[in-house]
This record gives sequence, C-alpha cells and structure tokens, in this order.
Amino acid sequence: MARYLRNFNYLMFLAMVALIAIGTVAIWSAGNARAEAVFHGMWKQTLTTAVFGLAVYLALSAIDYRKVLDYASPFAYALALTMLVAVLVFGSKIYGGRRWLWFFQPSEVSKLCIIMFLASFARPLRQLGFAGFLLTGAIVGVPLLLILAEPDLGTALTLVPAVIAMMFAARIWRKGLLAVLAVIAAVATAVLCLVYEAEKPGVPPARRAAVLQWVPLKEHQVKRVKVFLFPEEDILGAGYNLRQAKISIGSGGFSGKGIGKGETNHLKYLPQAISMNDFIFCVYAEETGFVGSLALLALFGMLVVPGAWVAFTSNDERGECLAIGVSMLVFAHVYINIAMSIGLLPITGLPLPFISSGRTFLVTVMAALGMVQSVSIHREEAK
Amino acid sequence: MTSLVSMAIFVIGFLVLGVNLKHVQIDGSANYSYANARQSVRRVSTAAPRGSIYDRKGRLLAGNRPSIAITLNPAQFQRRTWEQTEAAISNAIWHVAAVVGREPQLTERQLKRHIRQSLAMPLPVWRDVDFGELSRFAEHEREFAGFGVEDTEERIYPCGSVAAHLIGYVGRAEVERSSGDTKFNFANRELRGRSGLEHYYDSYLRGVGGEKNLVVDARGFAHGETVVKEPLRGLDLKLNIDLDIQKLVEKELQGCTGACVVMDPRDGEVLAFASAPGYNLQEFVPVLSNELYDRLSGDRRKPLLNRASGGAYAPGSTFKPVTALAALNEGIPDSLTYECTGVYEIGEMKLRCARRWGHGPENLRTALRNSCNPYFCNLAMEAGTNALVSAARALGLGQKTGIDFGVDMAGVVPDDEWKRRQYGCGWYVGDLAQMSIGQSMLLVSPLQMARLAGAIGTGYLAVPRLKAGEHAELKPLPFREEHLRAVREGMELVTSAGSARSACEGVAVKVAGKTGTAEVGTGANRRNNTWFIAYAPADRPTVAIAMVIERGESGGSTTAPKVGNILRGIFNG
Repeated sequence: MARYLRNFNYLMFLAMVALIAIGTVAIWSAGNARAEAVFHGMWKQTLTTAVFGLAVYLALSAIDYRKVLDYASPFAYALALTMLVAVLVFGSKIYGGRRWLWFFQPSEVSKLCIIMFLASFARPLRQLGFAGFLLTGAIVGVPLLLILAEPDLGTALTLVPAVIAMMFAARIWRKGLLAVLAVIAAVATAVLCLVYEAEKPGVPPARRAAVLQWVPLKEHQVKRVKVFLFPEEDILGAGYNLRQAKISIGSGGFSGKGIGKGETNHLKYLPQAISMNDFIFCVYAEETGFVGSLALLALFGMLVVPGAWVAFTSNDERGECLAIGVSMLVFAHVYINIAMSIGLLPITGLPLPFISSGRTFLVTVMAALGMVQSVSIHREEAK
Repeated sequence: MTSLVSMAIFVIGFLVLGVNLKHVQIDGSANYSYANARQSVRRVSTAAPRGSIYDRKGRLLAGNRPSIAITLNPAQFQRRTWEQTEAAISNAIWHVAAVVGREPQLTERQLKRHIRQSLAMPLPVWRDVDFGELSRFAEHEREFAGFGVEDTEERIYPCGSVAAHLIGYVGRAEVERSSGDTKFNFANRELRGRSGLEHYYDSYLRGVGGEKNLVVDARGFAHGETVVKEPLRGLDLKLNIDLDIQKLVEKELQGCTGACVVMDPRDGEVLAFASAPGYNLQEFVPVLSNELYDRLSGDRRKPLLNRASGGAYAPGSTFKPVTALAALNEGIPDSLTYECTGVYEIGEMKLRCARRWGHGPENLRTALRNSCNPYFCNLAMEAGTNALVSAARALGLGQKTGIDFGVDMAGVVPDDEWKRRQYGCGWYVGDLAQMSIGQSMLLVSPLQMARLAGAIGTGYLAVPRLKAGEHAELKPLPFREEHLRAVREGMELVTSAGSARSACEGVAVKVAGKTGTAEVGTGANRRNNTWFIAYAPADRPTVAIAMVIERGESGGSTTAPKVGNILRGIFNG
C-alpha cells in the first residue's frame, strides 16, 4: 500500500478527474441543445460510466500490469478479433457504418487490446528483427483492416501513431521504421496533392476522375480532404460542418459565452448528430473561449506527458511500451480531434477522450490509463 | 529515448494546437462572431405609433385605437419534420379556436407561407379580437403554450364623415427603413397615409420605425429577441380647422354636390374645408375594401373628388369684383356710368343681362349690387385683357394657393397665349367679354375664391394654412386702397340690398359678398353652378368664405342662404 501511494502518479490522476468533470459539463450542454429528451440526461449516464471506469482504473492500477499482460493480453487480442468480426456480421447500422455491438463499440476496445498484445510481446518481436516488423504489421494490420471495414477510419488512424511509437520503444526493426514513416508521409502528401489537382477550381470532370483513380480514398473521404484544402468553397454543403465548427470555436473569443450559453450549439447550427461526440470540442470552446481551450490542452498535457514520463522511468520494456502506446493513443485522439475542428486536418469521426459522450471509449481509456498508473506503481525501485 | 521524443511530440503538438486556437479564437474571433450573428440574427423592423390629428381646439379628428391579435410562435411547435410541425400548429389552433369562440382567420396556404417565409415571426391567427374573445383566451392562456397576444394599432376617425376629404385615410405598407440601412430580414407593416392630410403630413405623423433582432436557430425558428432601437412615436398634428364650423358647413352641404371653404383672411388659417358628397372614413379602416372603393369611384356624383381645393369651376359673377379692380387699376373712375339695356352686343354676339330689360344707368357700386353683366363687359373693354389677367393673378387665381395639402388646383386664368396653346386660335373680344363676367375659360376652386374674398376684405393675399402654429404668409395686393374700398362697398351692397340681402339678414356683423351663377354645359346638360363668396365683418374681416353648389338655381337663392346660415352660426351666439 505504501508503494502504491508513493508511486501513484497524482498529476495524471487529477488531470483525468478534472477532464471527466469538464466532459460531464460539456455533455450536459451539448445534450440540452438536442431536441430529443433522451440526450438531456446523457451527462448522468456519462458520470455513472465514469464512476464505473474509475473502479476499473483503480483496480487495474493496483494489479501488477505484468500479470495482466501475461494472462489477459492473448485473450484480449483474440476477443478483439472476434468482436470485430461479430460487429461486421451482427452490428447495428448507424450513420452508414456498422460500429455498434449491443451497447458498445468493439473498435474502441480493440485498440487497447492491440496495444496490450504488442506490449506483452515486445521483446520476442524485437528479437525477430525484420520478421518481427512484418509480424507486428500482421498483428496490427488484421484488426485494423476489420476496423476500416466498419468503416471507422478515425479510430484506425489513432492506432497508427500509437503502434509506431511502441515499435520505436521496443526497437523493432528500427532501421526500417524511419523509412516506413517517410513512406507514410510521402503517401499522405501525394494524396493531398492529387486531391488538390483533382478538386481545384476549373478542373473538368474527366480529368478529375483520371486523377482521383490514383487516390486510395472513397468518394466521401475525398470530399473531406477537399473541404480541408478548400474550406470556404462549399460552406452550405460539404464544408458546412467545418464552417460551423470554426464559427463555434471562433465566436467563443477570449473568455467564451458562458457555460450552457453556446449559441451555435443551442441554435443547432453545429451539426447536432455529432455535437456530443466528434464536435464536442466546439461546444466546449464556444462556451469557455480561448482560456478554456488552453486549460483543456494543459489538462491533456498533464495526462500524456506524465504518461511518457512513466514510460521513461519504467525499466521494464513491456511497461515502457504499454505506457508509450496508451499515451500516444490518447494524444492522437486529442490532437486529431481538435485539429480537425479548426481545419488543421481533414474531418474524420473520432471522440475527444473524456469530453465526448462515447461510453465504450471512456471506459477503455480509463482502463488503459489505469494500466499506465500500474506501470508507474509497479516499477522496479532502486534498492 | 522514445519516451523523451514522445514527450517532445506531445508538447510541440499541443503548442501547435494552442497557436492555431489563438488564431481562430483571438485573431479570427471578430469574423466568426460576425458570421455567427449573420446566420443566427434576423433584423426586424417595428412600426411606430402614428400621431393623431386634432382640430384647433384639441378635438380628435384621427387617432389610434389598440387592436389586439392572438399570435402563435412557431418555435414552440417545432417538430422533426415540417409536415409534423404544420400539423402540430393546425391542431393547436383548433384547440384555441374552441375557447376563443372564433374561427381562425388563417388559411392553410397562409400558414404554409408563413412557415416558409417568416418562420421567425409571430403568426397572427386572430386579428382584432374583441374583449370577450380576449378574456376567454386569457383565462386559458397557461394551457396554450406557444400562443401570445400582440398589440397593434388601427386608425380611427371618431368624426366619421366629417372633413373626410381633408383628413384622408391610411393604408399599410412595410416599415420604411432609414436610408443607407442594410435590408431587414422581416419588415412589419405600418400605417401609411394614402390621401388628404394623412398623406401630406405622412412623414410627420408616421414617426420613425424601430428595430429588433430575432435570434433564430438553424431551421429558422425564433428563440428570443432584443430591441435594438425603440420606435419613435409620430408627432400629433394640430389643425386650424374648427370642428364646430366644419360641422356647420357640412350640415349646409348635406344632400348637395359642392364645396365650401372657410378661412381667416388675416393669417390664412383654414377654419373649415368641406366637399360634398363625402364618405365615412370609419369604413376605410382597417382597410379600404375593393367593394367600397369600386362603389365610391363608380358613383356618378364622384364622392372621392375633393371639390374644395380640387374642383374646377367657372366663377361666374363672383369674378366681377376682379373685373372692377382691374378697371380701377387702369385708371377708370368708379363713378363711370354705363346704361344697361339688358344686352351687350359685340359684333354678332349678344351678351344678356340678368334683368331682361336692363338696369338703366349703373355705376360701379350699383353694378356690383345688381350683378349687371353689360356694365362689366363694358368695363372689361375699357380695361383690356391684360389688366383683367394680372388682376386675377394678383388675387391668387390661376396658380396654386400654396396650402399645405396635396390637392391644390391651380385653375385657369386664360389669355391669348393660353388660348392659342389650348385651342389653336387667338383671343377674341368676345372672350374678354365672357371673362369679365366670370365665364369664358376661367376655372377656379372654392379654396381660391375664399382666399380671394378675404384678400379683397383685408387688402392682402394670405396663403391658406391647415396646420396650426405656422407663420402666416401675406402678400399685399397691388391695388390702391380707395379702389378696394369701392369694390368692398359694392360687395356690401350685395348683402344689404342685392341678391344676398335676405340670405344675410340677421347675421350679427355686416357681411360683404358676391353671388354668382355660372352657366355650364350645353343642351340637356346645361346647368348652373351657383356661388357665394363673402367676408365678414365687412369693416375688419375675420372670416372669408366661398361656397359652390353644383346644379343649383342661382347664387342668391341656392348658395347665399346656406352661407348666411354658416355666418349666423359663426357670429351669432
């Protein structure tokens, strides 16, 4: 117990509790703006879920993460694959995708399962060298393809930086990894350039189609990239969401309009279907302004930087991998979500940890952070 | 190592976000706030209460009464689809209708149009509800979420048909925006003068419209409002009209076709201004219906015509004082005697006198008293056309009077040039003879003649003024005082010993006047427009009056007695 209290990372914990509080308020505000009464009480459900998540967090932080990895990670990985297949077969179709299995989203849970699985096999994968790199690719690739099939591009995207960071930490084929990164960057740049060429004003349809056949994106994704490149072009159509998101955030100004007084949200200019999830940062930023946005960034910083610090101070490579993977996953969620809301990245659907109303993700992130806490608590102390 | 790099990535990543958030929330804040306002705020104009019109003693001629409408706020019935919203609204309306006890004055088409075009505005379902309906609604108001009452104003004319042509009427139009303003999203309608003083003094009475902002959601429903600018009430208009005299005049005109103007010649204040037949202004509110308009405009007697300042009549013998003044001004002495034989011959043309066998020798005063045609024909021959024309113009004929009113007919004082322009032939001696007795092509309005009568009495021409408190505009007449005195004495003889003797009997003050009987039309349509112009008291005039009655018998027997009644009403008692 003394060791638990001594090694417990209070900063990370307090930041998380504060974020949960902020999230509850944001969901309350976003939910009240909805016409459907069912959303008005959403904040209570979120709070209840957070209490459950806290129990999971404390339990996982108390148990030695090595035991969890040893016993649970293979099952977790197998379970993730099963669920991802099941959701494609039995899942309920909402907003053009199969992402829901009964009451939860398997794709969110599976991200933690993959990180756990990779962390627990960090050493053997490193020892295999290039083969280990390929194997890692397979371990991550199979569930990733299943997630993409739902489709849930956003969730898949956040997993990529987490996995790459873990591979660096585990030193899996380090020489080639930088090259892989370079290839990813090159492909991303090429896609942007091609979409720019195809969508810039005055391009005849035939040429557009000819250029776009080299772009490995679906039509609606091309549209989002186009909005990213030309945000002002179609503000009543494809660009509407981004435009409204920026109006919400921008009109918040320095100190915001006051909690529960976000106009664009309450007057339903902000797309209602996603204001509680992907666009909740807009609701928050409009009501609390630049001050609130910075405070939120600071709290996320207090969550992920200590996460990396836990990885740094852990002298077990599994713990290091786990902590770095989870921290990078949370960071990727925060960064992509906020960046897309202000037009720094193309819009894609993914939740903002603790602030968005997704309960599966909330519990998943809390469980993951509980395990990082466990890494902090159960590090080998210098005798 | 990886951990430290990650830490750096986290910190740099959040710094990048922070810098970009500053760009959006601080630097771009004004732009995005404007975009937010532009999409969620609708500018609405509000009507200002219209000013009232009073007579000189503060009696109400035109005012406003509150009109209450039961309205519905569409935002309270917002449903998932437009069809459901429409159904919810219709359903609620029928619910309230059962309590109010009146069918809604709203068709399904109007409802649909309101939802499509002015969703953010309250929709008036029952306009102008009476007290019973309102109290029944108020009793149950709590049960009817989304319904409310809205105060508007309707014009009232408490005197009905009195001074109808003068006061005029109003219609409704979108609130006018001050110049340079950007467009309103929704414009309320305000009362706007359509004729008469309501029209002439419209900008004075109307006030300045206000402005409010409605906050609308993404679908266009309103969720609150802020008043940007309160409307500024219009100013009250106080008239020189004396309601007592106005009523007196209208009583005399009842059943006739004609007009009468009474004014104070000292300063031009118009005391009464009437045209008959008239109409009841109360029938013009809240709106002038097409049926009523068709009935009035189709009426053979032309009730919509304002004869007082817009009727064009030959002045007949009431023009003779002008001829007299013209001759005197040319140096012809008032003692000039002319033997009236009952007819005046110019070549082929024979101009008859009213007395078949002639008046015998006449001087200026007796000729005015007897309204002797040959005498004035002779006078005109001596004086010449130019003298007559300039005298008539000096007395305000052939030009607008300058009254503060929309209808101000200039009339015609013909001369050679005018006749060539109109008829393509020159001015004959016969025209001059006709003109000397007020026939020819002369056209005057009763307003001009009242002004003329007053000017002879006072020696100066006053611009008629309807609005109280305005400065008098007076112009001295270019006639010598002794010439005016000669004409005045002749006009006094008219009421003491001439054609208006019995009519003016019993007026407490001495009256000077002149009757006139203008023959117009030919054949079966031949008729007399009968005149009487007067001023009183004769020595120091405070009242000038002119009345014309169409299709009368003669000025002395038809019009003068009516004017006598009016003068008795003003001066006796």
